[in-house]
Amino acid sequence: MVNHEEEVLAPTPGQRVGTFSKRKDVKRTFWLWLFFTIVFCVLGRLAYPHWMPPVLSKEMQGNEDIMIWFTVISAPIAGIVLAVAMESFLNMHRGDTPPEEGVAIRTNTPVVIIWTAGSVFFCIVAIVWGLVVMNTDATKAAADSATSLTVDVTGAQWNWSFFYPAQNIHTHTLNLPVDRPVTFNVISDDVNHSFWPVQLGVKVDANRLATTVIHATPTKVGVLDVKCAELCGLYHAYMETSGQVQTSADFTSWVSSIQATGGVQQ
Amino acid sequence: MTTLTHAPASSRPIPNPKKSLITRLHMGTGMVVGIIFCWGTYFAMKAGRDMTDSHNVNKVLLASMMMWSFGFLVGIGALIGPFRWLIGKDLTAEEQLYLAGDGQGVKRYFKYCTDHKVVGIQYLVGVMTMLGAGGTMAMMIRTNLATPGSHFVNPNVYNSLVGLHGITMIIALIIVSTGPFGNYIMPIMIGAADMAFPRLNALSWWVLFTAIPVLCSAWFLGGIPTGWTAYAPLSDQAGPGMNAFLATIIIFALSTAVAGANITTTVIAMRAKGMKWNRVPIFVIGATISVALAVPAFPTFMVAMIQTAMDRTIATGFYDPNVGGSGWLYANLFWIMGHPEVYVILIPGVAALMEIAPVFVRKPLFSYNAAIAGFAGIAGLSILVWAHHMYMSGWMPALNGPFMVTTEFISVPTGLLFLVLIGTLWRGKPWMKLPMLSVYAFIWDFLIGGITGIYLSDVPADNYLHGSMYVTAHFHYTLMGAALTGAIGGLAYWFPKMTGRMLNERGGYISFWLVQIGFNVLFLGMFLAGAEGQPRRVADYAHLFAHANLISTIGAYSVGIGMLTLLWAIIHSARSGVVAPMNPWGAKTLEWTVPYPVPLVNFDTPPVVTSDPYGYGRSAK
Repeated sequence: MVNHEEEVLAPTPGQRVGTFSKRKDVKRTFWLWLFFTIVFCVLGRLAYPHWMPPVLSKEMQGNEDIMIWFTVISAPIAGIVLAVAMESFLNMHRGDTPPEEGVAIRTNTPVVIIWTAGSVFFCIVAIVWGLVVMNTDATKAAADSATSLTVDVTGAQWNWSFFYPAQNIHTHTLNLPVDRPVTFNVISDDVNHSFWPVQLGVKVDANRLATTVIHATPTKVGVLDVKCAELCGLYHAYMETSGQVQTSADFTSWVSSIQATGGVQQ
Repeated sequence: MTTLTHAPASSRPIPNPKKSLITRLHMGTGMVVGIIFCWGTYFAMKAGRDMTDSHNVNKVLLASMMMWSFGFLVGIGALIGPFRWLIGKDLTAEEQLYLAGDGQGVKRYFKYCTDHKVVGIQYLVGVMTMLGAGGTMAMMIRTNLATPGSHFVNPNVYNSLVGLHGITMIIALIIVSTGPFGNYIMPIMIGAADMAFPRLNALSWWVLFTAIPVLCSAWFLGGIPTGWTAYAPLSDQAGPGMNAFLATIIIFALSTAVAGANITTTVIAMRAKGMKWNRVPIFVIGATISVALAVPAFPTFMVAMIQTAMDRTIATGFYDPNVGGSGWLYANLFWIMGHPEVYVILIPGVAALMEIAPVFVRKPLFSYNAAIAGFAGIAGLSILVWAHHMYMSGWMPALNGPFMVTTEFISVPTGLLFLVLIGTLWRGKPWMKLPMLSVYAFIWDFLIGGITGIYLSDVPADNYLHGSMYVTAHFHYTLMGAALTGAIGGLAYWFPKMTGRMLNERGGYISFWLVQIGFNVLFLGMFLAGAEGQPRRVADYAHLFAHANLISTIGAYSVGIGMLTLLWAIIHSARSGVVAPMNPWGAKTLEWTVPYPVPLVNFDTPPVVTSDPYGYGRSAK
C-alpha cells in the first residue's frame, strides 16, 4: 500500500545529503577530487624545492614556502574544478545527434554562496600571508640597518658593477658574508635593468638617476648568479655575473685581497 | 525559447549608383593613394632636413606612416560620407546600399563595405594572418632557444622577434573574438539588422588594416628591440623601427575606440523586441563588457605612445631621466592599459565558451547572474591592479601592499567563471564535438594560468618570479590557453553560420590534440625554466636551463603543426566542406534562426524574444 502522505513530504536536509552522497556520479567526482588534490599537493611539495635554485637567504626560503603552500592551499579548489570537468568528460556523448536533455539546473544559490565565500577566504589567506611576509622583511631590514653590509650596485649596458663603501672596493663579482644582513642600493647608468641575485630571492629595477633599495640576509654559503631581469637592449641575455655567499673569514680575506690591488677587482 | 513574429518583408531598391565615385574605389585604390601620401610626405619632409639627426628621421618616418594610413582611407572611400556632410549632403540611398555590398560577391571583401557580416569575415582573415605571422615568429624564437649557444638568429634579430611577436599577438588576441564574432554573429544574436553605425564598423576594420603594413615596416627599419612593453628609456635609444611600433599603436587605438563605441551602442540600442537584459546571450554580455573596458583603457596606451613619439621627435623628455622625465610615468601609463587589456582579451573568449557549453550539454547556463557578476567584477577590479607589474620597479614600494590586495581579489570573480562552467557541466552528458573540446581545454589551461597568477600577484613570491620565464608561461596560459582556445571554440561553433559549411572534424580533432598537448609541453617546460631562474626575453641561456628549453621547443613545434592543420581544415572546409544545416547544433540563440547566406538585413521579419536562450533540460528528479 502506498503511503501518499510520505510521498509529498519534502526531504529533510539530512535526507538530501544522504541521497546526494550515494549517487554514483557524486562518488566518482569525490574520488577524482581526492586524486587531483593529492597530485597537486605532492607536486607543489616536491616540484618547487626540486626546480628552484639552492636557498641561500631567508628571503628565498620565504619565496619557496609561498610557492609550495599556495599550491597546497589551492589544490582542493583546483581539485573540485578538475573533478567535475573530468566526471562530465568521462560521461561524454559521441555521434552526430545531440544527447538527451540534461537536468535543468538554472542555479544553486547555496553553492554560489559557498563557492564565493571559499574564494574570498582563500584570497584573504593569500593576502595576509603576503602582507605578513612583507611586513616581517621590512621590519627586519629596518632593525638590521645599523649592522648591515652596504653594496652599491650599478647596472650598465651590459654588465654589473659593485661598490662596497665601508670596504672601499670596486668589484664585478658579488661576494657576501653569511648571516650578515645586506642592503643593496641599485642604480643604472643608462636604460632600465633589473638586479637579480637569483639564489637570494630578491630583485629590484636599476633605474637611471633614481636609486632603489632592497635587503637580503644570506643564510647559507654557496654560489650566487646575478642576472638582469629587464630587457635592456642587444646583449641583455649576457648581462650576468657571479658571486658567492662566504663565511665571514673568507669574505674578509676576499676584501683584503682586493684592497691589496688598489681597491679594484682585477 | 525565442519566437519569430511575421511582419511584411522589406522591399529595397536595387543598388546601382551609376557614375558614383564609390563604385570605383576599393582596397587597390586605397593602397595607391596611401603609398602616394606616404612617399609624398616622406620626400616633402626630408627635403632640407638633416637626416643624420635621429629626431628628424623619427619625425619624417612617423609622419609618413600616419599619412599612409590617412591616404589609404581617402583612397578606399572612407571619407566620402564625412566629406558630403561637410557640404551639407549625405550618401544617396542607392550609394548606401551599394556600400553594404549587396550582390557584389567576393569583391565586397576588398571594398569599404558596411555589412557587418563582411566586416566580420575581414576581421577573421586579418586575425588569422596576424596569428600566422606572430606564430611564425614564435617558432623562430623557440628554434633559437632550443639549445644554449644557438646562433639561429643574432641577438638584435632575436630582440626584434620578441617585440614583434608580442605586439602582433596582443593585437590579434584583442580582436580575435570581438572582431570576427562580435561583428558577424553578435548583431544577429541580438536580432539587429546591422550594427548601430555601419560606416564606423567598416572604418574600424580598414583603420586596423592600415596598421598591418606599418607594423611590418618595423622589420625593415631595424626592428623593435624593446619588447612589446617598449619601456623608456630603452625606447628612446631604439632605432627607426620604433616609429613603426608607435604608429601602429596609435592607429590601433583609434580602431578599437571606434569599434568599442559601435559594439556598445549596438547592444544597448538595437536589441530585438523582448530581449531584456536578462535575456541577452552571455557572449554578447561578455563582448560588450570587454569592448567597454577597452574604451577607457586604450587611450592611455595611445598617450604613452604619443609622449614617446614626442620624446623621440622633439626631445620633450617625458620619459628621459636626464632631463627630469621618468620611465615610471611611462610604465604607469602602459600598465593602466596593460592589465585591463589582459581581460579585454580574456572575457570574450570565456563568454564564447559559456555560449557553447549549454548547447552541447543540453543544460541551461549555470547561474547566468554569477557569469555577469564574474565579468563585471573582473572588469571593475582590472582597472585597479596595474601596478602589480611594477612591484620590482622601485616606484612607490608602499603601494605594493594595496595593489597586492586588489590583484588577489580578482581571483574571486574569476572563480565565478569557473563555477559557471563546471556548474553547467555538472550532471551533464556533453556532446563531444569540436567546440565542446575547447571548453575542457580552457578549464585546464586557465586553471593553470589562474593559480600561477596568484603566486605572481604575491609580492614576496614575485621577488623571485618577476621578469622570469615563469611570467611568460603564466600569461601564455591565460592569453593563449584561455582566450585563443575560446576563440578557436567559437570558430568551430559559428563556422557553419559564417561559411555555410561544417568545419572538417578530423582535421579539427588532430589540430586540437596537437595544439593542446604541444601547448602544455611548451609552457610547462617554460614554468620549469622560470622556476630554475631563467630570465625572460633572453636570446641565450646557461646550460642549466637546457632541458627545460628543449622541452619547450618540442612543444612549440607541435603547436605549430597543429595550427597549420587547423588552417588547412578551415580553408578546406570553407571551400568544399559538408554543407551545414541552418542549426546544426540545435542551439536556441537567434543567429541559428537565419539561413546561410544570411540576408543583408539579417531577418526578413523582426524577431521577438520571449525568453533567454538557455531553456534546455528537463526537471530535476
